[in-house]
Amino acid sequence: MKARKIVLTSGKGGVGKTTATVNIGAALAKRGHRVILVDTDIGLRNLDLVLGLEKRIVFDLVEVIEGRCQVRQALIKDKRFESLAILPAAQTRNKDAITEDQMAGLIDELATMADYVLIDCPAGIEGGFRNAIAGADEAIVVTTPEVSAIRDADRVIGKLAEKNIPMRLIVNRIRPEMVRTGDMLSIDDVCEILSIELLGIIPDDEEIIDTTNRGEPLVLGEGYRLRSIYEKIVRRLEGDLIPFTNLDAPGFFGRLIGALKAG
Amino acid sequence: MFPLREPYDVAQPPVSAAPVKLGRAIVVTSGKGGVGKTTTTANLGTALAKRGVSVALVDADVGLRNLDILLGLESRIRYHLLDVLEEKVELDDALVRDKHTPNLYLLAAAQSREKEEVDTESMRDLIEELRERFEYVLIDCPAGIEMGFKNAVVGAQEAIVVCTPEVSAVRDVDRVVGLLGNAFAPKLIINRVRPHLVHKGKMLSVEDVNSILRLPLLGVIADEPDVIVSTNKGEPLALRSDSQAAAAYHAIAARVAGEDVPAPMVEYKETFMDKLGSLLGGRR
Repeated sequence: MKARKIVLTSGKGGVGKTTATVNIGAALAKRGHRVILVDTDIGLRNLDLVLGLEKRIVFDLVEVIEGRCQVRQALIKDKRFESLAILPAAQTRNKDAITEDQMAGLIDELATMADYVLIDCPAGIEGGFRNAIAGADEAIVVTTPEVSAIRDADRVIGKLAEKNIPMRLIVNRIRPEMVRTGDMLSIDDVCEILSIELLGIIPDDEEIIDTTNRGEPLVLGEGYRLRSIYEKIVRRLEGDLIPFTNLDAPGFFGRLIGALKAG
Repeated sequence: MFPLREPYDVAQPPVSAAPVKLGRAIVVTSGKGGVGKTTTTANLGTALAKRGVSVALVDADVGLRNLDILLGLESRIRYHLLDVLEEKVELDDALVRDKHTPNLYLLAAAQSREKEEVDTESMRDLIEELRERFEYVLIDCPAGIEMGFKNAVVGAQEAIVVCTPEVSAVRDVDRVVGLLGNAFAPKLIINRVRPHLVHKGKMLSVEDVNSILRLPLLGVIADEPDVIVSTNKGEPLALRSDSQAAAAYHAIAARVAGEDVPAPMVEYKETFMDKLGSLLGGRR
């Protein structure tokens, strides 16, 4: 059976593509799947850092494509999981070192070795973006509830639609208290603008900063608030129907104020 | 150099034969996306213009423009960067006057075009033309180090690099500084610092970041929810007087202008809840 090939993309940078790739990948691996994460951000790789594997890189994606090593030599297995591996991007090369066809071929080869191939796309919609989506047959669009991120996501959704790639949405960094006060767009607002199927809602939580800097995906740790959120995303990805946590629901004071206003 | 032609003003000032003093073209860049390049450009531009100098902001993120949103000018864009580069319209027709700050102008990026369509030589000429007319030209660079980066950098003489206290951002900035080479005299802004996390050892400190990058520090900006609100509203924080970040942007603008003022920093202040937490020995 061939793997599902899913690209994580966003248009805007810094919305959490790499963090989502790593945590979804690790959560899938925990469920017993063979997972390969591909960093396509040639020249600005970071996936290795977020997993704490940066010191173990020998070969990279460009060297595989140029035939200077075997795919298996370039794949780095995660210490914590035999079933999770990454293919790092080259750091000192340019994104035009490879073509879309070469990338599609590489992703197909990886697909014979895994159950899931997750492709971490660079920011922007230039050559790096086109390469990253070339081998994918599904997409996860990551955005944050900011007007600028949503505009960029909308542009990317248009480009994915042109290629007939089915896509689902993750809204990252929601701050429920700001949504309640009207200072942040709600999930409903975001979904209405982008009108693609929702896959996950991730609240803004400081624990993500620390775990990212330490190279330890939080789905592998204990006691993290976001862990169950990622586990739900992965179960939805696998076809389970899991209801969304209603982060927009008003708290006690919100309801009180609502009741007073209604009265 | 200034003022620009009014929209309905037919008479134009005579062109001076004397050589003009060129303005400073500064590119705001980072490698990594989402660290606050556009926010920095909008706020630094606003803070500089409030000092009474003329400022042009150029959005070089063709295809993914956002600077217009942060300034609240998105519905006033008629022409864009590529229209000017391809000589479809005059520069004056494409420059949009800011609604909040006099002396501040925006040249928006094209939204439905590609970065590869920008001609590098024309971009260099355009920035030079802007330098003849404005004292400051701030260029908002797209994320990444592809064509968009090259075109954003080509006309600049100086660079401001924006970094957040994350290992991934530090690595990307380090790469960009390497690509800029010895030119551009890059200076550093560290953005989105959360002092309570630094205090707890859960975030890199300013010293940690700059022990790797070793760049002259323009200033440090705290992570404030107000930034998101101001982005969504289209009103740069630098317009406000009640924000710590606004004060920091004004100090950075003064430093860019050459004034000898201290670099704004963020201090950790113990809150009531922190004290309570440490008293109870909890996890806070």
